[in-house]
Amino acid sequence: MKNFVSILTLIGVLFILSACSEDEPDLIVTSFTDELQEPIEYFEQLHDVKVDLQIIPTENYVNTLRPALESGSGAPDVFTGEIVYLKDWIEQDYWENLSQEPYNVDEWRDDYMEYVWDLGINSNGEVRAVSWQTTPGGIYYRRSIAQEVLGTDDPEQIGQMFSTMEGLMEVGENMKQHNYRLFPDEGSIAPYTNGANPQPWVNENDELVMTEERLAYFDYAKELREKQYTALAPAWSPAWYASFTGPISYNVGWDEIDEDADQSDQTEVFAVSLPTWGLHSVLKEEAQETAGDWAVTNGPTPYFQGGTWIGMYKDSENKDLAFEFIKMLVNDQEFLTEWVMETGDVLSYYPVMEEVAADYADEFLGGQNHYDFFIERAEEIDASTVTRYDQQIDELFGTQVGAYVEGNLTKEEAIEEFYSQVVNAYPNIVVPE
Amino acid sequence: MKKGNHQAYLFIAPFVIVFLIFNIYPIFLTFYYSLTDYTGMGGIENARFIGVDNYIRLFSDRYFYQAFFNTIRIWGFNFIVQMLIALGLALLFSDIRLKLKGVGLFRALFYLPNIITIASVALLFSILLDWNHGGLNQMLLSLGFIDRPINWLNSPAYAQSAVALIGAWMWFGNSFIVLLAGISGISKDFYEAALIDGANWWQSFKFITIPQLKPILLYVLITSIIGGLQIFDLPMLLTDGNGSPQGALNTMVLYLYNQAFKYNNFGYGATIAYGLFFITVIFSAITFRTMYRKQV
Amino acid sequence: MNKMKLARFIIYTFLILLVVICFIPFYMMIINATRSNSEILRGFSLIPGDALKANYQTLTSYMDVWVGFRNSLMVAVSVTILNAYFSALTAFALVVYDFKWKNVIFITFIVMMMVPGQLGLIGLYDLSETLGILDTYWPLIIPAIAAPFTVFFFRQFLITTMPISILEAGRIDGASEIHMFHRIVLPILLPAIATMGIFTFIGSWNNYLVPLVIIRSPRLYTLPVMMGALSGSPVAMNLGAMYLGIAISVVPIMIAFLFLSKYIISSITAGSIKG
Repeated sequence: MKNFVSILTLIGVLFILSACSEDEPDLIVTSFTDELQEPIEYFEQLHDVKVDLQIIPTENYVNTLRPALESGSGAPDVFTGEIVYLKDWIEQDYWENLSQEPYNVDEWRDDYMEYVWDLGINSNGEVRAVSWQTTPGGIYYRRSIAQEVLGTDDPEQIGQMFSTMEGLMEVGENMKQHNYRLFPDEGSIAPYTNGANPQPWVNENDELVMTEERLAYFDYAKELREKQYTALAPAWSPAWYASFTGPISYNVGWDEIDEDADQSDQTEVFAVSLPTWGLHSVLKEEAQETAGDWAVTNGPTPYFQGGTWIGMYKDSENKDLAFEFIKMLVNDQEFLTEWVMETGDVLSYYPVMEEVAADYADEFLGGQNHYDFFIERAEEIDASTVTRYDQQIDELFGTQVGAYVEGNLTKEEAIEEFYSQVVNAYPNIVVPE
Repeated sequence: MKKGNHQAYLFIAPFVIVFLIFNIYPIFLTFYYSLTDYTGMGGIENARFIGVDNYIRLFSDRYFYQAFFNTIRIWGFNFIVQMLIALGLALLFSDIRLKLKGVGLFRALFYLPNIITIASVALLFSILLDWNHGGLNQMLLSLGFIDRPINWLNSPAYAQSAVALIGAWMWFGNSFIVLLAGISGISKDFYEAALIDGANWWQSFKFITIPQLKPILLYVLITSIIGGLQIFDLPMLLTDGNGSPQGALNTMVLYLYNQAFKYNNFGYGATIAYGLFFITVIFSAITFRTMYRKQV
Repeated sequence: MNKMKLARFIIYTFLILLVVICFIPFYMMIINATRSNSEILRGFSLIPGDALKANYQTLTSYMDVWVGFRNSLMVAVSVTILNAYFSALTAFALVVYDFKWKNVIFITFIVMMMVPGQLGLIGLYDLSETLGILDTYWPLIIPAIAAPFTVFFFRQFLITTMPISILEAGRIDGASEIHMFHRIVLPILLPAIATMGIFTFIGSWNNYLVPLVIIRSPRLYTLPVMMGALSGSPVAMNLGAMYLGIAISVVPIMIAFLFLSKYIISSITAGSIKG
């Protein structure tokens, strides 16, 4: 027994020692995805330094990082921010003011898309964060299925069909006749409901803004489900990823759809709504089997989703190196050209985009030049509707739409419940009667 | 006895200091927060003191009531199943006539789920119970028990039962061991005397086993209440962490966590913590009194 | 007698069935950990697949479960040791000496044993932020020094098992008080330390809420927090890797338990009867 205790003590001491002896990195970068892994490796070779990338999952990102930024203990040198809390963060004293000496990033201004640049400026006119990307969305679809069912795989023509909600539903019906499904899940239609009349979730008077268009999401989602235009594969679930590479099982768990039991229990998904970054971080990663069979086109309305800004911590001890990293990521022509060639990411940095977009063919997208398409779409982005509540309110809203689609609540009950949950989470917000 | 009194202070000093700083102080701090609209940002000194407003809100908060009843339902169902299995097993293994072998082995096997991280168990079941690709539906389908997958985690009743049963599966082994130890501790003389008096199995169970087992039962019940009211890991990780489906898995501690750390309502989260505390005290007191009323 | 045999047969069948039910989830977990995502999506199988290595690579490219394992072990071992040592010291002082406030302290214990840990959670979070020890193990480890329940248990144990005359004899031989604590009291307490040690270890090992609130750097994640993060990570797109991650968090502990089970269970039995 005594030995047992002393062995445990020994193990404990060894662990503590081993934890202490890890070598210190030169720079610590914190983000919510592994997207920066490759840029970091590039940077490490370039400058012969060691950079640590800490990834904190999106749902914990704000709550875990914020205390470190406020207290300074355990704060990273460089950290990213998602568009939804960007506005909040640039007003706090978290990111270093990049407008001042020796950074003077205001000189870069003209090279960037206006909305992307402006989002990083706080109310004092100081640039606190910058971004390399722009994130308009579209509908990615499978060329082979388009060819078989719709008789064409041309993005222009498909885009014509997708240009209204009715058109989208028509394609859905057509797909179903051939035992394909338009979308993996109902969420793919969400961008085009609010997109028809973009409004912030919460206005400057702290009032929740509910529009007809937002309410229409309930009906469209229900329609998609009832007419079986979706494959019941919720976004980001394993089945969702699997739906990009081939048939997935479609053993409907619902009573209402029983009559169609003679249909095959497998189905293949035609299309999915994703923003620019979906191409390299989702499709190119997870759908290698169907590479070359994809194309991207417009949906009924423009939309954009997400966007990562980056800045350096105001009390970082490695500001020079930190700025070098940021500079490479957003303003280094050579690096960004390489990055674009490899990933197909769409940049907000014109010099590279103009050069690349002029003559580009993405192999994954069957040779399509998606830059032409996305840069045009990016011009339509209105980022003024972004609020810091978006992530949580979208989640609450989606849950209630889901409850309605599943038949657990009526539309009125679901809306009522949504309002009540918003007030419960944010007592300061006033909801419509 | 008197010698070395001054050293006694030295010996209890670490305990007292840590206790005051890490137990007592946070509890008072939490209480103070519960009287403010503190958001966790910008320091407590900038929060507004709002008196008992949070407590008034708590009393009329239907999500808190929902969380309370969910917690009680889950705990109640869990406790009944767990105790039926555990007591049944304990009686079987302690039966003098059956003389079952392998007690040690079965105890170990039944106890095993206890030592496994609840978070791992919750995650495991969240994918096993997935309606479309989960192992459970796949197994039931291929065995022919069902002809269509069941969407377990989309139904409030199924989801709550799932949490209760997973809990019962994890903890019945512990109750079994404790109860078996309790029953083994009852003097055999009682049973022999009862046998001579012509008592049947049920009578000796009712008049000897249960009364003699009372302290142990009380121990099991109280620890189960205190633990059950704090259930968090399973409902948090089994679905989306918001209490889906339809708020059925919104338990009190999950509600506390979400209010404080997801929506940054630190003040109100602190109030929920105190609500939970008073409920725990009331339940423990009721249990204590009911169990001992007859003897007093 | 034959009736007895039949009854025993039925009971054993029932017990074995119960064991099987208990282990089906683990069995499915282990089987699925060796199958590829598409195999798992396609259906259920009792036979292992051959994707173990691929799953492992997918898993470790995002998350190193072994680091979580090491972190959890480090925290749980430190907590267990601190808890045992300082509780024993406090119980020793309470039993052996008379001093002011002794009863106040003792009554405070009894009350505090009823208080759920969540009560001070928000305060603990803010305190840690103020002290600058957020995102370290200190807020998880230090509170183990003050564990009223363990002190209470040790106190009861010492009262019944330790003759004061041993200490008197020791004093006559000129031993210091702390020396006597180490040489005499701790060995007497060993069975109680083992019992509470197991409870403390399992409690710390399973703790999800406090580290979830305190720890933010992935390299410091304890196993439960890592499991929670797994479901929101890119690993979740591959069910095989997901099952494997869970399996790694579970199987070593199962094996360790099977080796120590006899010992652990007798300790739990002892603990529940005396407590």
